[in-house]
Amino acid sequence: MRLLQKTNRAYFLISATAFIIAGVVFYFVISFFFKDQLNENLISDIKVIEGTIEKKGILPNYYPFIEIREISGKSERSYKTIDTLIFDEIEKKEIPFRQISIIDSVDGKNYLIIARDTLLEEDDLLEAIAIVTGSVFILLLICLYFINRKLSLNIWQPFYKTMDELKSFSYDRPGFKLSAVSQTDEFKELNDTLEKLTQKVISDYQSLKRFTEDASHEIQNPLAVIQSKLETLMQFPDLKKDQAELINSAYAYTLRISKLTQTLLLLTKIANEQFPEKRSVNISELLEDKIKLFEDHISGKSLILKKTIEPECFLETNYFLAESLVINLIGNTVKHSIEGGIINIILNKSFLEISNPGAPLNVAPEKLFERFYKINKSSDSLGLGLAIVKEICRLNRWEIKYKYENDLHKFTVKFRVFIS
Amino acid sequence: MKILIIEDEKELVGTIKSFLGSEGFLCETACSYFEAEDSLSAYNYDIIILDLTLPGGDGLDLIKLIKERNKQAGLLIVSAKNSLDDKVKGLDMGADDYITKPFHLAELNSRIKSLARRRHFEGASELIFNEIKINTDSSEAFVNEKIIDLTRKEYEILVYFIVNKNKVITREALAEHVWGDNISCVDNYDFIYSHIKNIRKKIEINNGINYLHNIYGIGYKFSEK
Repeated sequence: MRLLQKTNRAYFLISATAFIIAGVVFYFVISFFFKDQLNENLISDIKVIEGTIEKKGILPNYYPFIEIREISGKSERSYKTIDTLIFDEIEKKEIPFRQISIIDSVDGKNYLIIARDTLLEEDDLLEAIAIVTGSVFILLLICLYFINRKLSLNIWQPFYKTMDELKSFSYDRPGFKLSAVSQTDEFKELNDTLEKLTQKVISDYQSLKRFTEDASHEIQNPLAVIQSKLETLMQFPDLKKDQAELINSAYAYTLRISKLTQTLLLLTKIANEQFPEKRSVNISELLEDKIKLFEDHISGKSLILKKTIEPECFLETNYFLAESLVINLIGNTVKHSIEGGIINIILNKSFLEISNPGAPLNVAPEKLFERFYKINKSSDSLGLGLAIVKEICRLNRWEIKYKYENDLHKFTVKFRVFIS
Repeated sequence: MKILIIEDEKELVGTIKSFLGSEGFLCETACSYFEAEDSLSAYNYDIIILDLTLPGGDGLDLIKLIKERNKQAGLLIVSAKNSLDDKVKGLDMGADDYITKPFHLAELNSRIKSLARRRHFEGASELIFNEIKINTDSSEAFVNEKIIDLTRKEYEILVYFIVNKNKVITREALAEHVWGDNISCVDNYDFIYSHIKNIRKKIEINNGINYLHNIYGIGYKFSEK
C-alpha cells in the first residue's frame, strides 16, 4: 500500500471515530440545553398564566400549548414535569411534548395549569447532527486528501526520484550518484546513507570481480604451463607405455582442474551478471546448430533424435549464455540417456523441452541443479552443467523445471519475454 | 618466418618457443608490456602472439601499437576463457584470431599455420605430406593426385594432423579443435575413433599409407613411422 493511501486511511479512521464521538456528545449536550431552556420557558409561561388568572380571571386555553382546568382537590404548589405524546392534526402523527403542570388556587378555586411545548423530535435532532458533522467530516477529508497529495508531490518527490534512480542501480557501473535534492533532513540523510552504501557496494563488487579474475588468471597460468610441459613431454620419441600412461593421467587431471576453474569462474560471472550485452537471439537456429555438435555422440550411443523445433523463435538474451544453456542441456541429456534411447527436443516460442529415457532418480530433483552434484560419483563429469543452466535461467528470469514421467527425464525451460 | 611471443609467464614462453622452434619458426619473446613496446618498435614480425593480460599495461593498447608499427603482421591474441569482452574488443581492433588460455600446443601451432596460410606468407595454400595433398582454399584432399571424399569433420581432422605432423596429438586437443571446447560436457572421446578409422580407410583405398598411429591411449601421431 502506498504511503499516501496509508496516511489517508489512518486519517480517515481517526477522524471518523472523532466525529462519531463528537456527534454523540453533541446530541446529549444539545438536548440537555434544549430541555433546560424549554423548562424555563414553560415555567415562565405558567407564571404569566397565573398572573393573568389572578388579575383578569380569564382562563385562556390554547390546546395543546396551554390548558387550564378547574379541579377539585387540594392545591399543591409544586411543578410536575412529564414528557408526553400528543396527536397533531396537521402532521397527522404523534408529536413529543414536554408539559409542566401546577395546581394553583385563586380565590379559593383550584386550577390545574398545564403548559406544553414541543420537544425536538429525536430523529430530527439526530438528522441535523448527522448532516452537520457529516458535511464537516467530508470537507475535512477533502482538505486532507489535497494536502496529502500536495505533500506527496512536493515533499516526497525527492524520495520517489531516489527510488527511481536506485531501481536503475547496477553494481558494475561505477560513478553512481543520486541526483535528488531535498530540503527535508530525513531525505537528505537517506540519500547520504544510500550514496555511501552504493559506493561501498560498487567498490566491494569491483574488488571481488578483480579478485575472481586475478585468482583465475593466476591459476590458469600455472595450469597452462603444466599442460604445455606435459604436451612437450609426450613428444619424446622413445616414450615407454607406462611412462605415457603416467603422463596421460597427469594430463587428463590438469585439463580437469583447468575446466573446473573456468566453469567456476563462469558461474561467478553469471551470478555477478557480468554478461550484460543482450540482443535478439534466434534460438531455433542456435539449437539446430548445437544439436549438430552432438551428432557424433548421438550416433555413437545409437540414440534416436526427435526434434520439433519451431523456426524463428527469437529471445532477447546474451548469446553466449543462451549457447551455454543449450549445450549443457543437450550434453546432459546425451550423457545420461540409455543406449538406443529416444531424445526428444521441443522448442517453441514459450518453452524448450528436452527429454531422454533413463532410470528414475533416487534423490530429490532440486539436488540435480546443485553445484558439484553427480549422479554417478565416479564419473569424470564436473557436476556443474545443470548448476550453470539454473544460473542462466535465473539471470534471464526463465523457469527451469525437471520432471520424471513415463520413464523419461524431462527438462523444461519456460521463457518469459519474447519478441518476434 | 619470425614470430614475437608476448606473454608474461616465462615458463610457458619457453615451451611455446621450443615447440614452435621445432616447427621451423623463429621466435622472439617479450615478457612485459615494455619489452613488447621495445621489440615492436625495433623489429618487424610476421606473426605476433599477444597475451592480453600483461603486467605493466593493457594488452589491448598494444594492439594499437602493433597496427601502427607492424601492420603486415598476423596477430593472434591469447585471452582467458570466458573473457568475452577482451576477445571481442581484440578482434574489433584488428586481431586476426584468438585462442583461449590454457591452450593445446598443437592448437596454437594449427592457428599460427592457418594465419600464415591466410596471409600467404609461404605463397601456398597447399599442405603436402608425401602422397597426401590438401588444398586449403578449396577444402579438398588428394591421395596420389586423386581426390578423396572426406566429410567436413574428417577433412578438419586430417588438416589438423598434417599441420601437426610428427607430433603427438591428444584426443582432448583433437576433440576441442574439431568439436569446440564446449563439447567436453560429454566426457567420452569414443566418437573420435570412428572418424579416424574412416580417414585411414579412405586413404588406404587410394593406395595411400596409413600414417595415423595410435599412441598408448594418449592420442594419435601423424608420421611416417
